[in-house]
Amino acid sequence: MVLVDDDLLSELREATINGDSDRVEELSRKVIEAGIDPLEAVEKALVKGILELGDRWINGEAFISDLIAAADAMKVGLSILKNEIVKRGGAIKFRGRIVIGTVEGDIHDIGKSIVASLLEASGFEVIDLGVDVPPQRFVEAIREYTPDIVGMSTLLSTTMLKQKETIEMIKQAGLRDRVKIIIGGAPTTEEWAREIGADGWAPDGISAVELVKRLLNAK
Amino acid sequence: MLNEVAPLARPRIEVLDRDEIQEIHESSLNILSRVGVKVDHEEALKLLNSIGVDVDFNKRVARIPEHVVREALSRTPNFVRLYHRDGKQYIDLHEWNTYFVVGSAAYYYMDFRTNEVRRPVSRDLAEVAKVTDYLPNTHMVSTALVPADVPEIIADRWRMYVVIKNCSKPIDTGAFTLEGVPDAAKLMAAVVGEENVGRKPFMIFAACSSPPLKWSALTLQNLMDCARYGIPVHIIPMPQTGGTAPATIAGAITQANAEFLAGLVIAQFTRPGAPIVYSGSPTVFDQRFATSCTGYIEVGLISAATSQLAKFYRIPSGCYTMVSDSKTVDAQSSLETAFGALISVLAGINMAIGSGMLLEENCISLIKLAIDDDAAGSALRFARGIHVDAETIAEKVMEEVGPGGLFLKHKHTRSWWRREHFIPKLLDKRTTDMWKRGGSKDLNTVAREYVEKILREHSPEPLPPDVEKILNESMQMIARKYGVEKLPEV
Repeated sequence: MVLVDDDLLSELREATINGDSDRVEELSRKVIEAGIDPLEAVEKALVKGILELGDRWINGEAFISDLIAAADAMKVGLSILKNEIVKRGGAIKFRGRIVIGTVEGDIHDIGKSIVASLLEASGFEVIDLGVDVPPQRFVEAIREYTPDIVGMSTLLSTTMLKQKETIEMIKQAGLRDRVKIIIGGAPTTEEWAREIGADGWAPDGISAVELVKRLLNAK
Repeated sequence: MLNEVAPLARPRIEVLDRDEIQEIHESSLNILSRVGVKVDHEEALKLLNSIGVDVDFNKRVARIPEHVVREALSRTPNFVRLYHRDGKQYIDLHEWNTYFVVGSAAYYYMDFRTNEVRRPVSRDLAEVAKVTDYLPNTHMVSTALVPADVPEIIADRWRMYVVIKNCSKPIDTGAFTLEGVPDAAKLMAAVVGEENVGRKPFMIFAACSSPPLKWSALTLQNLMDCARYGIPVHIIPMPQTGGTAPATIAGAITQANAEFLAGLVIAQFTRPGAPIVYSGSPTVFDQRFATSCTGYIEVGLISAATSQLAKFYRIPSGCYTMVSDSKTVDAQSSLETAFGALISVLAGINMAIGSGMLLEENCISLIKLAIDDDAAGSALRFARGIHVDAETIAEKVMEEVGPGGLFLKHKHTRSWWRREHFIPKLLDKRTTDMWKRGGSKDLNTVAREYVEKILREHSPEPLPPDVEKILNESMQMIARKYGVEKLPEV
């Protein structure tokens, strides 16, 4: 029986690494049917798989598209297993929760999506608000999800100001103390982050993950 | 037009049109029949005399008529197959295939540990062979260095021995002694068996004419010996524009062609069907410094023309295109070699020779060899051209992703990105920040670390123990002929 469980979990881990969402869905259901602890499946298969792939990517052995596909597959598995975990009165332990989005007026998806996937691949729960996100939506998301960190991306120098505006609005809503705010994107700099009152800035995806870890440890 | 099945397009360059090729061909024939070629070899002169060539035995000049050249051309195979030493894997020098080859017979070695340029020892050659065995886009090794730790008289065969032991790929080599080829045949027989020396050759010999319009005794002996054994030869005319050849590009090409055809005649009348590659090592003789330069862009023009002439004759081609005049591994050594790599694939040169080479073909650097492997890989990718069909045009994918969407997440990206791109081993593609965190290393540093890693981690397929034993004995026998008892450890 133990052997069968291990086989199923290692298959699920492989399917996650391969970014095969259909297979992950199928195997996650099998996990529940077989009565395997869903929390164990999340930790030993989904999370372990994505962490492994994340390491490979950092070493230049995997592609970012592989990592994003794996992150998507992991989310498919999570959505199935989560219900079962809740049913059993448990909860998935993430390293932290991050709300992320590209600011209003900017529809560039790629940088933000890479950071989101890398964070997921590092064991964080990520709520991706998408692109062209108005300041008000960030405020609502803080109330709704109570994240540890809010991340804002922008690619255009014209929409940089929206990062400032969003932080202002979060302050006005009285939520600034509840979250750490980080920013990124091609035109941004460390000085800009300081100027608008953000808690951190990162030049690329890997640095962003390190920044998030640092901020959460300091908390 | 739409209904026709068109052949696959492939990026190509031509530097001569059909009429120009014909004109150069005819001028070469005129030179051969009217001016003639100096043939410094009694047996070769007699052979030529016996087939109706006008031979002046006093001046040792042979005036070769057109019909003899035609007959030689008709006897020449249109492809040359070179085996790995295992006798199983092989490469075909044929049509538009390009294979990259380490430069051969350098007298100096640039030590990657110290950057010092010095005479090489056998261990250095073993390292060049070992690194080449690993490099994915360098398809042929060479007897790259002339080791200084053995007596000069056996250095040519000793290099072969060292390389055979440390690399499984086909070997470009040459002999500097009259006994060079028969002894090499013994070494080859030790590895693949006597019957396979000519049937499954894993070495190809260089035979350089001596411009202008001359063939030396030693080279002819080697050329004729190889023909008898069925060992492939690449004939290497070496015109220097304005030195030993006309200053004009067309003149240098024509003279080189005449020298090549003279060598071809001697090989094909020594043994019909001798496997020959039309190779070359053109240089620009720099009138300012009296230097023989391999990296001038005109060398690329002559190389491309050589390949076109070879294709006109339906003979495989080669050329020293991967070389640089730089004195160190720097931007110049990379850009001259990169031009050469691209010209090689675009002109369909079958053997693009000279990887790792600097200093007027006199020095090998492992750092340059590693960088050249990325240049070779990039060029080969370019030559593959663009794959166009419904799946690669990706109309359906664009429809699915839609305006403003992201291809990064689409399945199509995962299945095609890898197939579409050549991923260089050394060229840096990271973000500035990642590069800084990696130690802000320049290309030379990255290449040096890569070489160190290969030497640390890669072991070439060893020879079977019985083969190694016979090979060792053969080498010892050759050395003993010259009273050499003690050979370096490799």
